[in-house]
Amino acid sequence: MKRLAAIFVKGLVAENPLLMLMIGLCSALAVTTSVENAIGMGLAMTFVIVFAELVISLFRNLIPNSVRIPTFIIVIAAFTTIIDLSMKAYFPELSKSLGVFIPLIVVNCIIMGRVEAFASKEKPLDAVADALGMGLGYTWVLMGIAAFRELLGNGTLLNAQIMPEAFQPILFFTLPPGGFLVFSLFISFNIWLKRVLARADRAPVKEAA
Amino acid sequence: MNLAKIFISAFLIDNIVLMRFIALCPFIGMSVDVPKSFGMGLAVTFVMVMATIVTWPLYHFVLIPLRIGFLQILVFILVIATLVQLVEFFLKKQVPSLYGSMGIYLPLITTNCAILAVTFDNITRGFNLVESVVYAVGVAAGFLLSMVLLAGIRERVRTSPIPEFLKGTPMLFAATSLLAVAFMGFAGLVK
Amino acid sequence: MKETLKLGIVLALFAAGACVALALVYTITGPTIEGHETKQLELSLKDLFPAADSFRGLDGDLKPKDTSVKFDQTYEVTRAGAPLGVAIKVRGSSYGGDTTLLVGVGTDRRITGVKVLDIKDTPGLGANAKSPTYFVDKSTKTTFPGQFAGKPLSDPFEVKKDVVAITASTITSKALTNMVKQAGAAALEYLERSAQGGK
Repeated sequence: MKRLAAIFVKGLVAENPLLMLMIGLCSALAVTTSVENAIGMGLAMTFVIVFAELVISLFRNLIPNSVRIPTFIIVIAAFTTIIDLSMKAYFPELSKSLGVFIPLIVVNCIIMGRVEAFASKEKPLDAVADALGMGLGYTWVLMGIAAFRELLGNGTLLNAQIMPEAFQPILFFTLPPGGFLVFSLFISFNIWLKRVLARADRAPVKEAA
Repeated sequence: MNLAKIFISAFLIDNIVLMRFIALCPFIGMSVDVPKSFGMGLAVTFVMVMATIVTWPLYHFVLIPLRIGFLQILVFILVIATLVQLVEFFLKKQVPSLYGSMGIYLPLITTNCAILAVTFDNITRGFNLVESVVYAVGVAAGFLLSMVLLAGIRERVRTSPIPEFLKGTPMLFAATSLLAVAFMGFAGLVK
Repeated sequence: MKETLKLGIVLALFAAGACVALALVYTITGPTIEGHETKQLELSLKDLFPAADSFRGLDGDLKPKDTSVKFDQTYEVTRAGAPLGVAIKVRGSSYGGDTTLLVGVGTDRRITGVKVLDIKDTPGLGANAKSPTYFVDKSTKTTFPGQFAGKPLSDPFEVKKDVVAITASTITSKALTNMVKQAGAAALEYLERSAQGGK
């Protein structure tokens, strides 16, 4: 159980796909103009990665090595389609909002990367823990960026007016340049955080020595 | 829709990287220097156009008539993956030097969000085959342009003083932010 | 050769499994997905003409002067047989792709209202045309399509003149305004023709 927890937590911070591993950026900036979109996208991606890692882990001994990439693609594409159809049916507004980015989950580097590096080699339960960690790690960063952009660019969070009426929204943040800049600052913050954590990690060891 | 309008929109006004945020991974990862960016851009252009030429008829003459439109994601990505494999084989045999220098980035073209996005756009925007190809060329040109621009900036910046908190990747995104501002200026270009 | 065959079979099996799973999901979700569009249209028609009791489809009777705009469906709206106006489902090209509007024109030569059925423009910008919380006039809480309600067809329908644009989305605003204008003009022509009994 503790091992599973460790695998799960990895994806949230230490090996956060967006901020640390710097993969899966494609959809990340486009959907973060509103927190609602970010949550939708994050959860959709989590659905796909969890099931993809689960299925591929279950079949990992039956997939010949030379055709593993096409097989992975088939599995990931299948689950992407399932979430796409499901969202179109049960969350039509959100689906329209996210547009082409839901189908684009199939080429999300994070999923392909984890499936190749982890799920194809580990047991199903571990694979699911890893997928949940990565998926939720992706989701929380998306929500963070979106909260920033929506609050400053629109004065709202989840469409509820947060900023006082007098606050003039800074449109810049909802526009592409704003998105890039916010992301740049998030990465910068994360690099700093990583450094601080690394120093904190090393310090006790030094004292012991 | 007028072909020139489609091209200009795809190339500049609605630039796939700077305005739509698509294909950021290769954009950041490959724009290390101008020649590499150019090579990557051309490879992507080729695959994008080929993908359009294969997926468009496949969708309109096979998927729709057979009422299996829901297999679009599966079919399109498999077509793209196959095309990239073919390109790889071709380069390996005919132009091994290029194959060597492109290395691991060649198979990564499969996961290039822009290619899949374009094949989907062709359908959602109701383009006919000619319009789709023009659109694909426009998008690819826009991708190439944005990569070359960032590569140029990166080459310059290597010898410039940068504030500590922006060193590395953050600076790249900050620079991209400025590029995006510049490209927003194209907005009124086409009526 | 045997090895390649085995590989091919494995792939084919996975592909087949995927297709079966997807076909299953599609049979479950398909009807729901199609239902959304019809329901949205019905609700929108009702919204534009609350007093109406009948919407009769008119095929090909109305045509836009501007060929970049298309009329997907047109309806003659009546109550107890008396004409209330015309509703046009108009489709045109906007910033991110095709946009679909439902425009209602009353027999009083005014727009009864405009509904945005489908818009693919940038969220936070052009897509605000559809947002119920984006106002072009904050004091009266008027949305972008809302400003067309009650608008006489004799108005110029020009952004920055008599139409308020969506902030930083001039292209979207102009495209949608043009679509409303085209629908209005065609509806006017139809209403005048039928008023003269020339149908």
